[in-house]
Amino acid sequence: MRPFLAAVAAAACLALPAAEAADIEAGRARAEPCMACHGTDGITADRSIPSLAGQKERYLQWQLVFFRSGRRQSEIMQPQAAELSDEELRNLGAYFASLPRIVLPPGPPDPALHEKGKLAAARHRCASCHMDNYAGSQAAPAIAHQTREYTTKALEDYRNNARPSVGVAAMNEVAGGLTDEDIAAIALYMENPE
Amino acid sequence: MSGTSLRKRGIAFAAIAAAGLALGAGPAAAQLKSYDSSKPSFWKNPPPDWFLGDETEAQKGLAPPVGPALPTPLSELQDNLKKIKLPPGFKIEVYASGLPEARQMAWGDKGTLFVGSFGAGNVYAVTESGGKREVKTILKGLNMPTGVAFRDGALYVVAIDKLLRYDNAEAKLGAMPEPAVVYDDMPPFVAHGWKYIVMDKEGAMYLPFGPPFNIGIPPTSLSQIRRVHPNGLAELVALGVRNSVGGDIDPRTGQYWFTENARDWVSDDMPSDKLNRISRLGEHFGYPYCHQGDMPDPKFAMGHKCDEFTPPVLNLGAHVAPLGMKFYTGSQFPAEYRNNIFIAEHGSWNRHKYQGGRIMRVTVDPDGKNAKQEVFAEGWLTGAQEYSGRPADVVIAQDGSLLVADDWAGAVYRISYSR
Repeated sequence: MRPFLAAVAAAACLALPAAEAADIEAGRARAEPCMACHGTDGITADRSIPSLAGQKERYLQWQLVFFRSGRRQSEIMQPQAAELSDEELRNLGAYFASLPRIVLPPGPPDPALHEKGKLAAARHRCASCHMDNYAGSQAAPAIAHQTREYTTKALEDYRNNARPSVGVAAMNEVAGGLTDEDIAAIALYMENPE
Repeated sequence: MSGTSLRKRGIAFAAIAAAGLALGAGPAAAQLKSYDSSKPSFWKNPPPDWFLGDETEAQKGLAPPVGPALPTPLSELQDNLKKIKLPPGFKIEVYASGLPEARQMAWGDKGTLFVGSFGAGNVYAVTESGGKREVKTILKGLNMPTGVAFRDGALYVVAIDKLLRYDNAEAKLGAMPEPAVVYDDMPPFVAHGWKYIVMDKEGAMYLPFGPPFNIGIPPTSLSQIRRVHPNGLAELVALGVRNSVGGDIDPRTGQYWFTENARDWVSDDMPSDKLNRISRLGEHFGYPYCHQGDMPDPKFAMGHKCDEFTPPVLNLGAHVAPLGMKFYTGSQFPAEYRNNIFIAEHGSWNRHKYQGGRIMRVTVDPDGKNAKQEVFAEGWLTGAQEYSGRPADVVIAQDGSLLVADDWAGAVYRISYSR
């Protein structure tokens, strides 16, 4: 829809600045500085850093907006995002979303905890927004196949109101009721929820 | 589920609840959700059931949609507005763009348009000089500063649990002064904690206090509307109100009218959102016992009958999400629009086929009689569950045109009329 709309808009409003619809190629070029941490293909080696390949475009853009405005704190990401224009931010989201999502090898197995995680995810209705396969939808990110290290930190940060949530405050509210054990179990389960 | 069968079921549930109450701690009590609001944790992290937990299998996945991360670019906005339908003689144009999550609007004395925002945490000022319009972000980092008002040179901003006053604001847009806290006896949660400000002619401000959940017996400090004086004195003016994020003073009577979002997760067509009027202090509008004037809550009627409560002036439709509203006091529109109400409908999320996402026109007598509504501006709903924009507020401009704030597209539009 975006490229078509952009073409119409560009034709209709030639005097306006260049069309703002996302440009994946421009995003790839702008993503150069991201690769040191997030990998050349959006898959990270460091298990504490999230893989971005195939992540939801709208989610990625919101996180960059959060970093840029300081609503989400990170010594590394804030200065990086501070320099982004709206157009660059759109393109980066589109680029990482366009990469094929690769299934990471899970960490050491723990079948008992995996089962607890499955039940906790059902109890807390994660699938309502993240879908039954936990692959995400719109601004709700894919949460399947992230590392347990990253998911644990994300859930703890939401629980502590240390990072903002899209969907009003959906994740802060959901995570507010999670115990440490819930978080450990969900984080392990999401590495391979199949 | 049809409205009729639902209504029957509702009455049956109410009867069980009443029987349970008569027996003391009966079985019905066990069906009621209980919220332990005695602990600070409740206020910090209320239960997430305003959007989760009450859904049926068929309703699964009806989560609130999240808008674009960035405000819609001007060229795309102009394209979107070509699809907006208006009555003959009216036109719509982009008034200002690049205002992320724009919510309530208020005019300064010198012609500055102040605009609050949702999660963006900003307050914007739209100014004009030499025919050039400019958007400035004048406040940042506030906690959902959705509501704004202006009087005697001061900008008032309500940000969840603080009502702030910025004196001499229009002269200090470049560097806003430290605010005075006018009132802060408000809970800190955000769910239904975002607010709207309506100032009456005495300068007192009507503020809504929604419960942080979909449906339940609220703590006694919630589900109400307070009237807060500029010195911080607060009066309780209405009870039994769920989530209200819009209202206005009727210029004909001085009475407060307000929109109200009804509970979710009953069905696509029940219950209806409402337009209400306060005719005397302390009226109870029904929540959580009774919805839309005639539907006892399936769980929480607790034996109450709908005729115990003040009925709505008008049922606006299920899940249309009426937010900001204004009586039309301008003179640009045709004479029959005078004192009509314009309502910005934010549109559905808890419905399989969204409705709302438009501007409605309500004609109604000062006593609330003969109310009827019609669509005034529509076209932001672009699919069963897709928006190009979501109207959040309306305000009348000095020239009598109508401005519309859109928090999805991060823009303000202007609707004008010429013969």
